[in-house]
Amino acid sequence: MRSAAADSRTSFLLDKLHSLSGVIPIGAYLAEHFFENSYALVSPAKYNYVASKLETVPWRLPLEILLIWAPIAFHACYGLRIWWSGKQNATSHPWMANWMYLLQRWTGVLAFLFIGYHVWTVRFLSHGKTTYADIAQTMADARFAALYAVGVLAASFHLGNGLWNFACKWGLAVTARSQRAAGWFGALTAIAFSVAGLAILAGFRFHWTPFDSYLP
Amino acid sequence: MAEKTFIVRIKRQQRPDEPARWEEFELRHRPHMNVITCLRDIAERPTTRDGRELTPVSYEANCLEEVCGACAMIINGQPRQACSALVDNLEKPIRIEPLTKFPLVRDLVVDRSKMFQDLKRTKAWIPIDGSYDLGPGPRMSPATQEAGYPLSRCITCGNCLEICPKVNEDTQFVGAAIVSQVRLFNMHPTGAMHAAERLDALMGPGGIADCDNAQNCVKVCPKNIPLTESLADVNGQVLRHAIKTWFHGRD
Repeated sequence: MRSAAADSRTSFLLDKLHSLSGVIPIGAYLAEHFFENSYALVSPAKYNYVASKLETVPWRLPLEILLIWAPIAFHACYGLRIWWSGKQNATSHPWMANWMYLLQRWTGVLAFLFIGYHVWTVRFLSHGKTTYADIAQTMADARFAALYAVGVLAASFHLGNGLWNFACKWGLAVTARSQRAAGWFGALTAIAFSVAGLAILAGFRFHWTPFDSYLP
Repeated sequence: MAEKTFIVRIKRQQRPDEPARWEEFELRHRPHMNVITCLRDIAERPTTRDGRELTPVSYEANCLEEVCGACAMIINGQPRQACSALVDNLEKPIRIEPLTKFPLVRDLVVDRSKMFQDLKRTKAWIPIDGSYDLGPGPRMSPATQEAGYPLSRCITCGNCLEICPKVNEDTQFVGAAIVSQVRLFNMHPTGAMHAAERLDALMGPGGIADCDNAQNCVKVCPKNIPLTESLADVNGQVLRHAIKTWFHGRD
């Protein structure tokens, strides 16, 4: 009896941690990541300066593991478990939220595969040092630019729709009206992240620096 | 003038372990027909279009006015009540199948006792019996009565379970109807005395954590119960209950 109660707590706790980890720290990190990379839109020199600053933060590896890699690994593993435990029916019952349910699973897997590739190449193959020229070289190839665009859009959608899910699953948005509002908030978040992410990619690909007037 | 007729296709199965087959019946059209009258007409003359004489189709129905929940079946792909499915509003030929998330008994009859078991598991009732007179219960405010009434309209038909991606053989998810009943009884001043037990049950396997917000349930509820509001509300209740019991212990 006692062990059954412990089991039940575990599954509930894991489920809540799954939705929480998507917002903090993963969602928060995505915001930080897009923000820091936006320095590419100021100038290559500014980007390289910010990148080298980030590459030399104290406690870098433990921070990366605790705040980024472990939460993403947990979120992805538990997310796959959630996917397997559901039998989608969006094709025969094409309601909006039902499509969102299906897309949330597909974008989650796409984003995770992309993040795996992204971390492997930019964090490990580069030995933790990446310059503007490295990324610009990758983006010069249209196939890699397209791959990055897919990753950006999948992650942005997953975060925006996930915020709506979070609001419902944590009982923050209860009435139909507040759930709609949370849905709009999620949609706007997804759009904002998509625009910022694609702008950064365009910056690297076309050496586009729209914010260079900020420089003295 | 030729008599107006229409075709009804029914997915039938003699026994749970036998393969299902589709059978076609041609029925005479009369005004104001619903799917139950179709099934009655078939029972009167259970002969298929190709002339085979069969046993009548087994089905469940009771109130014929959408308050008992017995005649839930899949009509043209949607789980709904057969009594309120009017033939004139349905695309022809009409396709009728049994619900798929419950064990099949025969033809359109399924065993929905899972829902009753889950109502018991979540203590979805208000205990008023004692070994002595418990006296009158606490007063209920009109605002609470008004909030509870739409939830009390649940007829346990099972449509919301049928349409839910997370109600399947791999999960034990109780489904939106049961979660909504927990909300109803936790709202009631006497029922609230047992709120912790209901929330404990929903914290367990098959509980509220299984809901992944596909929000199909609310689309197929014949009683227009705000199921997605109930799910979000109970999500919050279980979470607050969990945090309270983990950090403060039980009262």
